Amino acid sequence: MSDRSQLIATGKPFKFDRKRDASFEYLVTRYPTRESMILPALWLTQEQQGWISQEAIAYIAERIGTYASKVYEAATFYTMYHLRPPGQYHLCICRTLSCWLRGKQEIVDYLRDELGLVPGETTADGRFSLEEVECLGHCGTAPVVQLNGEFHEEMDVKKLKALLATLK
Amino acid sequence: MADTVKLFVNGVEVEVEAGKNLIDAIGAVGIEIPHLCYHPALGADGNCRMCLVGIEDGRPPLVPACKTPAIAGMKVLLDAEHIKKIQHDVMEFELINHPTDCPVCDQAGECKLQDYYMSYDGRESRMTVPQVVKGKKMDFGCGVVHDQERCVLCGRCVRFCRQITKTGELGIINRSDQARVNIFPGQPLNNRYAQNVVDLCPVGAMTSADFRFKQRVWFLKKASGICHGCARGCNITIDHNREKYQDDLIYRLRPRHNPLINGYFICDDGRMSYKGENGNRLSEARHGRVARSTDEAMIALAGELATAEQIAFILSPNSALEQLVAVQALAHQLGAGVTGYSDGYIKEGDGDDYLIRDDKSANRAGLELLGIDCSRDGFLAAVSQASLVINCNNDLGLSFATDELTALFAGRRLVSFASHQRDLNDMAELVIPIASWSEYPGSVVNCQGILQTFPKALSKNHHPEDLRTMIGRLGSPLQSLADCRNRLAELLGIPGDFAMIPAEGLQLNESEATDVNP
Amino acid sequence: MEVKILSAKFAIKDAHKLRVAQKHGAYATLEKLFAMPPAEVIDEVKRSGLRGRGGAGFPAGVKWGFLPKDTGKPVYLAVNSDESEPATFKDRYILVKDPHMLIEGIIICSYAIGSHDTYIYIRGEYTSQVKALQAAIDEAYKAGYLGEKVAGQDYRIDVTVHRGAGAYVCGEETALLESIEGKKGQPRAKPPFPAVAGLYGCPTIINNVQSIASLPYIIANGADAYRAYGTEKSSGTHLFGISGHVAKPGMYELPLGLPLLEVIDKVAGGVWKKRKLKGIIPGGSSTPVLLPEEAETVTLDYESMAEHKTMFGSGGIVVLDETVDIVALVKNLIDFYHHESCGQCTPCREGLGWMLKIIKKILRGEGEMADIDLLRELCDNIEMKTVCVLSAACTMPVRSYLDKFRPEFEAYIAKAGSSAPAVQQE
Repeated sequence: MSDRSQLIATGKPFKFDRKRDASFEYLVTRYPTRESMILPALWLTQEQQGWISQEAIAYIAERIGTYASKVYEAATFYTMYHLRPPGQYHLCICRTLSCWLRGKQEIVDYLRDELGLVPGETTADGRFSLEEVECLGHCGTAPVVQLNGEFHEEMDVKKLKALLATLK
Repeated sequence: MADTVKLFVNGVEVEVEAGKNLIDAIGAVGIEIPHLCYHPALGADGNCRMCLVGIEDGRPPLVPACKTPAIAGMKVLLDAEHIKKIQHDVMEFELINHPTDCPVCDQAGECKLQDYYMSYDGRESRMTVPQVVKGKKMDFGCGVVHDQERCVLCGRCVRFCRQITKTGELGIINRSDQARVNIFPGQPLNNRYAQNVVDLCPVGAMTSADFRFKQRVWFLKKASGICHGCARGCNITIDHNREKYQDDLIYRLRPRHNPLINGYFICDDGRMSYKGENGNRLSEARHGRVARSTDEAMIALAGELATAEQIAFILSPNSALEQLVAVQALAHQLGAGVTGYSDGYIKEGDGDDYLIRDDKSANRAGLELLGIDCSRDGFLAAVSQASLVINCNNDLGLSFATDELTALFAGRRLVSFASHQRDLNDMAELVIPIASWSEYPGSVVNCQGILQTFPKALSKNHHPEDLRTMIGRLGSPLQSLADCRNRLAELLGIPGDFAMIPAEGLQLNESEATDVNP
Repeated sequence: MEVKILSAKFAIKDAHKLRVAQKHGAYATLEKLFAMPPAEVIDEVKRSGLRGRGGAGFPAGVKWGFLPKDTGKPVYLAVNSDESEPATFKDRYILVKDPHMLIEGIIICSYAIGSHDTYIYIRGEYTSQVKALQAAIDEAYKAGYLGEKVAGQDYRIDVTVHRGAGAYVCGEETALLESIEGKKGQPRAKPPFPAVAGLYGCPTIINNVQSIASLPYIIANGADAYRAYGTEKSSGTHLFGISGHVAKPGMYELPLGLPLLEVIDKVAGGVWKKRKLKGIIPGGSSTPVLLPEEAETVTLDYESMAEHKTMFGSGGIVVLDETVDIVALVKNLIDFYHHESCGQCTPCREGLGWMLKIIKKILRGEGEMADIDLLRELCDNIEMKTVCVLSAACTMPVRSYLDKFRPEFEAYIAKAGSSAPAVQQE
């Protein structure tokens, strides 16, 4: 993994919106300890604003009643938490064994050569971001791509082009 | 010793304390099991893998010693080739990404990686690929500087802040070899014990902004001491050195383990109190406006004592029992009043439920055990009746404003025995420098009623004398340290003599305290 | 060769919906279940020979028997749906196509072990799967299969889905528990084992999705019916995932004990593009590779795999054709395990990163012969020196490639110094 220690401060305070607030209050009843809410609260945050800012981590710690360092640990340990805003379209390409065997590199190369999209980066216009991720559990229909969380199986460059063409 | 069990280490039978883990149990009989993450105050974590030992006929055959209790009949393998290989291998893994810049590392000389490399590794590096790059010289607050590259991720500092101070400022973020200790941005270390992480760190990852690069540790002389920063009486090691053409200076104080009093730690205020020993010292005697030698000043004082109508001695709650009892004996002989009023030393509400006490003096319990009046009324009465007041290093500026003191001593002759420069000295006719707590041997009773002794640690260039010996020169019936201690043993009901006081101190019980009637 | 035990409802349209699932027998075992004493349920599962389908293959009923009695503490059930071992993609089908089979299994297990609170730990990447699972749970609550009175009985079961967030190591059962508790997924030292002190310090049973989902069949049809499939020591069926260079990759339910090569040929359509077989990874990326000649005598069961010095693992079979660059494959593997190392134990944290840099160096054409031996030695130095088996999951297969395909590594070294880099770096 790459270093994830650099958080981004927005300069604005974060708090859950009404929907996430209600979710938080419901979920907290499902666990015997409030610290169990660290992962769910990070998910709620990511759902709400697309990523997790420094202020959000401080807010979650405060809300749960735990150390900010513990929330910071979880946010940096678990790689699905975005610590910077992803692109409008966030592509995850599985880079592990079966997808690698079935040609994931052609897709990565295409994105780099044709769209200038490099793993770990977001396009200047903020439309696309790309991440090479570890096994997504779709090895039988490899290679697999996730676009904003939706799985697209048995991908190749042709199908990817078609998929990207449907995006506004 | 508690219950013991017999087990075998490398085939040799040893008797160890039952219920302890192998590191502590076997360590107590002098056999080292190398470890980085385990610390007795913080419990076993088991991440460093340096303490893996073999258990013959055991299942599993390989266990972390820190998490394995000593059991009777256990056959522990430490010197087997496969165990030595693991120690070497783990050291190799610890070192591949560790900067090998020991000559410029502040930890050099007291670094576990250095020690273990010599004891358990000693081979050449096979690392031919680039090292992991992490943060250097990070300001973690409270005077703690962190180097992520030197860190071995043992997590002692993190556990200290979570388990002991319960402030949780530190965490290990990321995973894999990107893992590193960090603070959450904007929330640096913010507790009164933070600098203990510097001592806890087995390597050069946590260093003290105050101490780093001031001294190479192998030049430091180490002396045992008792912190005089508050009534807890934490046990410390005084690291000091006299550089060429310089004074004997303290460079740092470190906690010294005492299970009855401070465990493994001290507070940062106490740790920094060494500065008071080095600076602002009174180094020269004075008579009127004229500088004198200490001997000349003492002759003048003897004259004052001979002619004074009524004398009052003011004692300090920071003075050692030996000093107090010597003054008390002299005062008794001279028919002088004695007061120990020192409310100014008490900072109401400053203490906590851990080590720090409101009372910023080390021996108030000792004053009280000797039956010395510490009331304000008693103080005012003693002073107002006296024509000659002899202040024995009580920092009255803590209890009174300067103009109050001026009014109090108007029309009286004031003598000041002082270790430090203070306003009060300016009001005195006679000012005589004395040794401070790191410069004399003595004993104190802490807030728990535990009596502890400490040796002389330093010898200052201006040769300040122990208040006790000066009082002896003035004719106290207690002339020697032994005289004082024999008298104290009698007064405090100490069984045997002071030599019998155990290293962790002697708990004086309630009845002994009330029996005291000098 | 395929059988339909766990996958019986997979082909049925909308079987993930309660109404449809019920029509095909979902929750039909509950009446029988609550008529049995819990000990009898455990016995039945023990007799069935069901082994943990997460990878370790530990007998499920035996594991349940480790729970201490009458501790006064709650007993937790944690369902491991982290499914992250590369080449493993079986539990996903259950979550999406027949989640009620899993919920029914949870009820059976909970009743057997005296648990009232279940946490299903699902990997964060399973975005649509978590929705499908939650929808089924919501339906089950509404229909009274979960909640205060399960199926009208005086027995409470609450099920909570806990989402992971991208950490393979959370599939390790104690890391999974740490993660539910809100911590980093760093495995705990054992003992104590989770059955004694697990989630929140309480007795806890952790079972894989497929293991739990196998329970309704066992209770409905009896242990003997389950044992009718598979071999004496490896009973029942398994959802095998076959991926890599085969003509028909996919998930197939098969009884245990079938010949590996026959399955690849007849079920998965053989090696694709009429190419030759180079090797087979039998049970997920952490299992040692088999050469074609070794594979000839292998059958798909725990014992045969062990005899061939590899493992059944998660049943994720990967076929490698003759074009595979083994050195690049090893780099891909080490990259994965290094990325997923929790960073706790020194040998794994530092060692896997070192191995990754060495294999990259070899791939760049800058390697030396000594690097191959160093890699091989590091496998030994790291393996089994750590709290969990993640490091071994990397070193065991890497060692097998180094030993079985050493000439390929040497060829890279021999090429070292020649002008062009050996392969393009990712």
